[in-house]
Amino acid sequence: MKQTVILAILVLTVAGLAAGEELLTLPPARVNYVTAMPVPQVKVAAGRPVRIRLKFRVADGFHINSSKPMSDLLIPTRLSLSVPTDLSVGKITYPGGYRFVLPIAPQEKLRVYTGEFEIFALVSTTRSATPGRYKVRGELKYQACNDRACFPPKKVPVDFEVRVLRSRLSTSYRPRRNPPQSPHIHR
Amino acid sequence: MKRNLIVVAIVAVAVGLMLWTASRVSRNPQRLTSGAAGKPAPEFELKSLDGRTVRLSDYRGKAVLLNFWATWCGPCKIEMPWFEELQNKYRSQGLEVIGIAMDDAGEDTVAKFVKDMGVTYTILMGKEAVGVDYGGVLGLPTTFYIDRQGRVVDQVVGLVSHSDIEDNIKKALASGTAQASAPANSAAAEQQK
Repeated sequence: MKQTVILAILVLTVAGLAAGEELLTLPPARVNYVTAMPVPQVKVAAGRPVRIRLKFRVADGFHINSSKPMSDLLIPTRLSLSVPTDLSVGKITYPGGYRFVLPIAPQEKLRVYTGEFEIFALVSTTRSATPGRYKVRGELKYQACNDRACFPPKKVPVDFEVRVLRSRLSTSYRPRRNPPQSPHIHR
Repeated sequence: MKRNLIVVAIVAVAVGLMLWTASRVSRNPQRLTSGAAGKPAPEFELKSLDGRTVRLSDYRGKAVLLNFWATWCGPCKIEMPWFEELQNKYRSQGLEVIGIAMDDAGEDTVAKFVKDMGVTYTILMGKEAVGVDYGGVLGLPTTFYIDRQGRVVDQVVGLVSHSDIEDNIKKALASGTAQASAPANSAAAEQQK
């Protein structure tokens, strides 16, 4: 029994060393510099677009380029959403970001996001949308740096649920009704 | 007793399998992991912006500053004029600066960037496999200082000061000097012309 335990420890040690060696060479793709916060369920009524707030958090000590970085060579932050056919995504609004200067090179001016930031997306439904729950999926593409190094572009998945409400045309949305016809046109 | 023997046999097979798997995972036996200093710099063969095929071994007998960079990397941009200046300063002592662009932007974008930056040292178009061989290149810039024998003297991830870079160049130039083969090979010699 004692022998078995010692051997088990030996095996685990060897396995741990092998795994550790591989962890040291993990590709940067496995590191997350930005996390997407959960989005509460969104309710959308036909014909009434809803502005959805998507919150993200950049890890401490890092920054990512804003949606409009100050050089064409820099990789901008971009949100893309893919929606079911009954939904559509309108304008996506990004924050302006902060001006940032590398301490070692004050001449290099950047516009970045740090800490928490929010992106707004306009989501609407078609009038014929079937009421119910729909899943919206997407991704935020970003490129992170810290004060001394930059890291390859990455994507963080985004998903949230949209609940399409039953059409309330009779109360909330009332299309303009034709006025009563003037009798003279029927003459 | 018999039961113990079976357990020992199973464990031995499991350990053997793990070691075999670990050896297969290393695609390049020269691949650097952590603590690259003192290890042989992995060989590579890449295309330069001027269309040459460049191998690290072409520079045996010279000290090499091997810099992984990208056009989207701000800190990399800061170092490039320093490398240019230091290449000119230490070329006669046997320094060769090589930049490896780890860029998806394409050769034209890299070439324009390099021209705009006034860089004249060798720029190669990188491949992910080369980055993996050099330990994954987790952040840019990552710079390897390689001595005349092709051994890594130091590895630096991220932007450091001009004086730190110069100190590492001096270390690379001094290291491996005694055993250095006198003539650099043909490709390096040709480039020096």
